[in-house]
Parts: sequence; C-alpha cells; structure tokens
Amino acid sequence: MMRQAPRRAADYGPIAFPAAMLLLFFAVPFGLMIAVSFFQRVEGGFYEPAFVWSNYARFLSVFFGRVLSFSMLLAAGVAVLSVALAFPFTYLLTRLRRRTQVLWLVFLLSVLSLSEVIIGFAWATLLSANAGLTNLLVMLGLMDAPTSLSPGLGAVLVGIVYQAFPYTVLVLYPALSRLDPTLMEAARTLGSSPLKGFFTVVVPALRNSIVATLIMVFVFALGCYLLPQLLGRPQHWTLSVLITDQALFQANMPFAAAMAVFLVLVSLGLVGLSLLVGKKENAA
Amino acid sequence: MKTNNMAGGLLVGRRAILAGGAAAVGLMAAPSILRAAETLKVGVYGGYFKDSFDKHIFPEFTKATGIAVESVAEPTGDAWLVQLEQAARANQAPADVSMIAQVGMLKGINAKLWTALDLAKLPNAAAVLPHLVNKYPDGRVAGIGAVSWYITLVSNTKAIPETPSSWAALWDAKRKDQLGLMALVSNSFLLEVTAATFFGGTKHLDTEAGQLDCFKKLSELRKNVKLWYRDEAQFEAALKAGEVPMGQYYHDVTGLAVADGHPVRSTFPKEGGITDSGSWAVSRASKKAEQAHIFINYMCQPSIQALLSRKVGTAPTIDRKKTDLTDAEFAGVSSDIAPIIPRYDLYLSKADWLNQKWTEMIVG
Amino acid sequence: MSGLALDGLTKRYGSFTALQPTHLTIPHGQFVCLLGPSGCGKTTLLRMVAGLDSPTEGRILLDGTDITHKPAHQRNFGMVFQSLALFPHLTVGENIAYPLRIRGVPKADQGREVDRLLGLVRLPGVADRAVSQLSGGQRQRIAIARALALSPKLFLLDEPLSALDAKLREAMQIELKLLQERLGITTIVVTHDQREAMTMADLVVVMSQGRVRQAASPIDVYRRPADSFVADFIGMTNLLNGHVSAGSLAVEGGALAVPGLPASGPATISVRPEELRVHREGAGPNRLPGTVSFIRDLGSHVEMRIDVAGREMIAVATPQDRPMVEPGQRVGVELPPTSCVVLPS
Repeated sequence: MMRQAPRRAADYGPIAFPAAMLLLFFAVPFGLMIAVSFFQRVEGGFYEPAFVWSNYARFLSVFFGRVLSFSMLLAAGVAVLSVALAFPFTYLLTRLRRRTQVLWLVFLLSVLSLSEVIIGFAWATLLSANAGLTNLLVMLGLMDAPTSLSPGLGAVLVGIVYQAFPYTVLVLYPALSRLDPTLMEAARTLGSSPLKGFFTVVVPALRNSIVATLIMVFVFALGCYLLPQLLGRPQHWTLSVLITDQALFQANMPFAAAMAVFLVLVSLGLVGLSLLVGKKENAA
Repeated sequence: MKTNNMAGGLLVGRRAILAGGAAAVGLMAAPSILRAAETLKVGVYGGYFKDSFDKHIFPEFTKATGIAVESVAEPTGDAWLVQLEQAARANQAPADVSMIAQVGMLKGINAKLWTALDLAKLPNAAAVLPHLVNKYPDGRVAGIGAVSWYITLVSNTKAIPETPSSWAALWDAKRKDQLGLMALVSNSFLLEVTAATFFGGTKHLDTEAGQLDCFKKLSELRKNVKLWYRDEAQFEAALKAGEVPMGQYYHDVTGLAVADGHPVRSTFPKEGGITDSGSWAVSRASKKAEQAHIFINYMCQPSIQALLSRKVGTAPTIDRKKTDLTDAEFAGVSSDIAPIIPRYDLYLSKADWLNQKWTEMIVG
Repeated sequence: MSGLALDGLTKRYGSFTALQPTHLTIPHGQFVCLLGPSGCGKTTLLRMVAGLDSPTEGRILLDGTDITHKPAHQRNFGMVFQSLALFPHLTVGENIAYPLRIRGVPKADQGREVDRLLGLVRLPGVADRAVSQLSGGQRQRIAIARALALSPKLFLLDEPLSALDAKLREAMQIELKLLQERLGITTIVVTHDQREAMTMADLVVVMSQGRVRQAASPIDVYRRPADSFVADFIGMTNLLNGHVSAGSLAVEGGALAVPGLPASGPATISVRPEELRVHREGAGPNRLPGTVSFIRDLGSHVEMRIDVAGREMIAVATPQDRPMVEPGQRVGVELPPTSCVVLPS
C-alpha cells in the first residue's frame, strides 16, 4: 500500500480532531498565559494589557533562582526515587498472574483517586511524633523516643513519591508487560543471576521507557504545590507554591504567569536536553 | 491542581476551606442571572458560610421582608472580584450584594466597583463599629461590616501548662520549633502583631523603616516556627495533637475544639486579638439597590448579629451591649480587649514589596 | 556414567501433568530431537534441562552429577529460544559477547571470540550491526553463535527454526547438523516438524500427552514405530485393525500374512504408503481388493487413495513404478509381509 501525501483539505481530516484538542486545551491557554505574563501589574488592583518585561525582570533574582533550582532538584529527586522504586515493582508485577496484576492495578488506581490534601495529611500524621511511624520503632526498641519527621525535606520527598508512584507504575506497565520474558531467560542461560540479568538486560532494554518515565515524573513533581506546603518548611516550597501564592493570594496574575511560563520553558528545555543526550548515546 | 482548600488570605476567609470547587459553582451560577430577576442575589463565601446563611439567615430575611434571596457561592481569592468587575463592565451583576474581604473592598473602591450606600436607608448601620465601615476617599460609604472574627494566640494545654498572656510568647526561646503560623503576610497579620507588641502599635508600620523593624523582629521568630501553614485543618490537627503546641488561629474554631474536649486554649493577648472581617458591598451593575439596602440594614440588626454569633461563630459588628449575647456567648466569639486592626491599606499599596520581603524572610 | 540422564523427571501444574515420569539417557555428542505435537511436554522437558523450570519430581544427572537444583545461570548450557531472545539494546557483537562480559572476560578476548563465533555461523563482519538490521536467517545464526559462546556442555534449542520460511528452514537444518557434527556437542532440539527431526537427529524422542512414546534412531522410528501414535505422527501410514486367526490377520476385505503376529486376539499393523503395491488385478497373495478414489501426481511421486472395504488407504509410487490405474478402477492392494509392522494394541 502506498502512502500518499495529503492533497486536499479533507485529507487532513483524521488529524483535525487531535489538532483541535491540542489547540483548545494547550495552545490557547498557554498563549493566554504568555500574553498575561507581559501585562502590567496594577498594585492594589488587577492588571492591564501592556507589553512589559518587568514581570520577568522581577523573577531574575538570586532568591527565585534558588527556589527554581530547588524545585528542579526536588523534581529530579522525586523522578529518580519513583522510577527506582516503581521499575522493579512493575517488573515483578508483570511476572504475576493476570488476576493478581489486575488487583494491584485497581489498587494503584484507587490511590490515584486520593487527593493531594489527603495524602499530605496522612503523611503528616504518619511522620508525626504523636501518632507516627517512629512510635513503632520505639515499640520495637529501635529508637529511644518518637520524633517528628515532618515538616522536612524527607517528608516532602516521601509525600510526592507516594503520589507519583502509581503514575510511574502505570506508565511503565505497558512497556514492561510487553517485554519478551525469554530475554530474561536467555540472560539466565547465558550466565546471569536473576539480579544481574535484571540490570544487564531488563533495565537497558527498556532505557527509553525509563527516560520517558523519568521525564514524566519530573514534570509531574515540578507541578506539585500542595505537598511541599503541607509537608515542608518554607525552604522546601517549590516555585509552584510561589506561583500559587501570586495567583491566588496576591492577585498578581502577570507575575504568576511569568513564573509559570519560565517554569514551562525550563522544563521543556531540560526535557529536550535529556532527549538530545539520549539520542547521542544511542548513536554512539 | 486538586481541591482548592487553601486558607484564603484576606479575600477568602477561613470558612472557604470547605468550599472545594466553589469557583466552578460561581461560574455555573452565572447563567441564572437573567432567570432570577425578581430575587436578590447575595454572594457569600462558598462552603460553611453559605451553608450557614442558607440555613439560619436567608429564610428569616425572606419571611421578614418578602424579598427572596438567591445565594451565590463566591469563589476564593480575587476571582470573585475579577468576575464582578468584568460583569459590571458588561452591566451585569452575578450578585447584587457580596460579602467581600477588606483588601477586596479597597480594590473595589479603587475600581469604583461598589455602589455608594445611602446611610439614610440603613438606620441599623449606625451601630456598626466605625472600623467596619468602608468609605470612598470622598467619604461616601462603599461597604458595611457583615461579619468579623478574631485570630488569637492558641496553645496546647498539655504541652504548655502556663497560659501565655502576650504575643511575645511567640518569641520565647523555649518555643523553638514549636509554632504554627499562617504562611502569608496578608493573612497572618504578624507585621501588625509585631508592631503592636514591640513597637507601640500598628502606626509603626507607616514608614518603610518601621516595616523593616518589624521584619527584623519577625525573623527572630523563624527558628521557633515548625509549621508555616496555609491549610487550617492541618494546623488545627497538629495543635490538638500537641505536635505544634502554639500558634495563631481562629478564636471561635478553637472554642469549638475546647468544647469537644481537646487540650487547647485560645488566649486574647494583652495586645489584643487580630480582628478580620468581611463587608457587604453592592455591585455598581446591580439594579436592586433598594432591596440591597433593605438586606444590609436587616443584617445590621442586633438580633441578627447575635444570631450570627450563635449560629455561625462570628463576632458582632456592633457594640455587644446592643445585643442580647451572654458573657459566655460573647467570649466564644470575641473579647473586650481592644483588637489589633490589620493595616489593609498596606496590602494594597505595598502588596508586592511586603510579599517579597515576607517570603524571603520565612524562606530564609 | 557419561552424558545426560533424566531419572523419573516429572512436571505437574496443579492437577495437570505436563510431563509424566520420564527416564531418558543421552550419551555425549548425540543430536537429539524431542518431537511431538504442541502440548506434548517437549518444551517443558527442555526447560527443565535448561534449569528454567524446576521439576516436580525426579532428577537430572550430567555425567553422574545431580544438577536438578542447580540454577540456570550456573549450568553453562547454551540455549536458543523460539523467539531467539536477542537483546534489542545490544549490537550483534555485544549479544554474542554477553555471556563473556558477564563472566568478566577481557575486552580483547571477547572481540576475538565474537569473530570466531561469527565465522562459525558463517556471518563474518556483522559484529557492529544492530540486531534489527539482520534478516530472520541471520538472526537465527546470531542466536546460535551466542548460545555457543561458552562452549557449553549441552546445546538446547526450542523450536529454533519455526519462524523461517520452508526453504531457509531446510538449509538451516542441514547447517545446524553439520555444525553439531563439527563441534561434537550434545544437542537437544525441540520440534514439531518430523522432517526436521529426521534431517538432524541421531536420536528422535517422540512424545505425546506428557509421555515419551519412542526414543530411537530416525529410521527406526519410521520403520518400526513403537505404537500407532508414533506410526501416525511420523510421516504417512496405513493403520489396519484386525483379528488374528489361524496365523494370519483377518481385516476388512481379506486376510493377511504378517510376521510377528501375536497368537490370537486383536492386532494393529502399520504399512507405509511407499511399501504398498497397487495391482490392476484384485486377487493375489496378501492383496486386498479396492477402488481407486483419487490420484494426485506431485511430479516427484504419485499418491493414490484407494477405498478398501470402506476405508481409505494411501499408496505412493515413484513415477517410474507408477501402476497404470485410473480413478474408479477396481484394483488389488498388496501389503508385502515384511513391510507390515505389528503395533502393540
């Protein structure tokens, strides 16, 4: 069958719907956001249409630079932790019986239905000194006195990883369940222990899926704004928290939009960079 | 991203925490503008406030005046103000009367969004405490106090046996990593607290030097703070558990927790509790100014203010002596100690600067 | 004792028995084909030998040592999978070098070994290619080369040629056999293709329903099938059931003289189509009368289907020996006594 280049407008029909959706739900809102980011903030009022750079200029400071780098590092940490946990988990999951797999997936989906608030509260309690996990350790004689682990960086990481874990599993699941199980058997007959085979065959064979998942979780974590507030101290607040502050509480839409645009651009840049690096590696 | 459950600073008010998705409700209510031409549309914060007003206040008002009320759930933040302003430009009013927080009132005044109120038609409003009456620069009245509430010094009685008497207790070295304070400069009012406690009053905030004094004093507080909270429920749970044994919180909600047997207390420090309030204001696009005046006048009655104190937990906007509130009922929502009144003007004129300083201060 | 021995090897999944207790001895250097229809247990048997599945009962002995519970990665057996299982993220050379890399063989030695193995499978110079750049037959050779990289004691192949087209498959069968002869390596191939088994094997193990039916040389399996299943599964055959009476076998259509008949009772015999003689006359020794129902001339041979007392018999003749018969013609089918194999009933 020959593929013909589309000639008439009607030939573009099949892509019209996705294109329209993309335009409606991504391009238009993002375009509006870019426009607002150049508007003039009116202190004590709202904003007026204009073309000013001041919103971006305000953002270019050591303070926001530090917040941005922290957000990026946090998101990267969450991405690495989530994938490091979810990849072996999903691998083992795909080895189980179909029924068991379905049960696990349903369970993970139900975790997804928990709101960020509930997750934040649950972890704040689990990490508290009064009702938290450290009481168990004290009971087991591993600790002298219960301590409070929240708020703190660890708590923020745990919370976001917990939230990202089901997404990570669901994104990795198709790739891992499509993976030919005889690859692993071949590795075993060729002298790899199951653990070694996992790292020399399963992981590298799926490295594209892993990179894609890392990027997805990274972007997901970058957008988190509730858990850093609920489980972190002010120094653990991400740029998304500050964007929320500006948009919801300071009514400073132009500045919030400028920060959001910057965040989107930086994450797009990082994603592009990692893809580029991946491509070079593949070519080498 | 998910539920919008944040404590909403000036504009949102604490009650809005229950108003998940109130923004959507507000938008969806818009098509009903034309249909309900014969009723008065009243905007109140979605969630607890709207539910309480629907249950205890509006039916009584309709019974008394024959004017039907359609309550509109206001979204959190500035969104409602933006909607009102944009609708007003199109000569529409999503609500005739709205409950508006103080900075919102000021913004609306700047935008000339509010219909000037005729005090002659509001005889009951004469009793409203002066600081709860919003005025245009030329003296016309833009809004009348609707509800007010107090933020006080709260503590866990088990963790902290001695009752604190001053906001200075927050600075006590013993309180290291023990405080829970509100995360935003514009809802914690800690600049005012600092000025009132250490610099002789909120007047000290008139100058930038004075503001910087307060920031400097506040930064000493940082090591004592464990939780800078936006979510009230989070702090309340931590306070009850003793996880965060001291902080600032709503007086009436803390009173409910005491009644439930939790080991907590709410103290009006000698410098005063922080009072915050919402006002009734009428959109300039409203064609129901008559009925709106009747409504506001009705709401200012001593009996209604007492009803609000009993059923909704707000402090009366009028002198308590005019109400039939018992001492216990009054203590549950207010205090005779002169309050710290927030410097709303600052959050209008220096909002971005204060916010930036504040964020840098607490992030450290 | 030298070679591979299976001692009562059994595999059960719950109530389902995939492999009945199996005893089998394979001397070193033999080329063994496990032959049978799908689900007969041949792959289960192979996987247990490889160490990929563990037996429910029984032992596996290699040169007298019990290796039943030795993990797969310590057995050093080369295995080629039906899917080939070439690692998609590695080049051809890296695939072949994988077992060497795992064992920490120096890089230079790996390269030399890869070159040697590629020479062995007659694909020199493809080490740097991606697996996806190779044809099916080439991938086949790479999988073989990789499995042979450790000079394994046992070479196991699970339906290795099933993905190839018929012509390539034939060529690979011969090549695989020649390779095995050159290396002298004990080889076990699982196949459902009896032609493949006949081509390559020293020992054919015919299996069905989790049981070994016959283990013998290809020609013995063909000429002297152990039972009617083997006779039927290996090539085409004519099976006749009858009763022994007075030293001959009474079947529908007549009585046959067959050597090796039991003294009495029912008996089944198998006669290969190419052993049958078709005569234009119905009468004669060991002849059954019938009617030709269908003839097809396949060039290399002629196949005749003959209705004998209501049952169809198949006879095959070379073009030279082709009897002058037409469909519908009444004929006599001769079953030479020496070509009749009595099967245990």
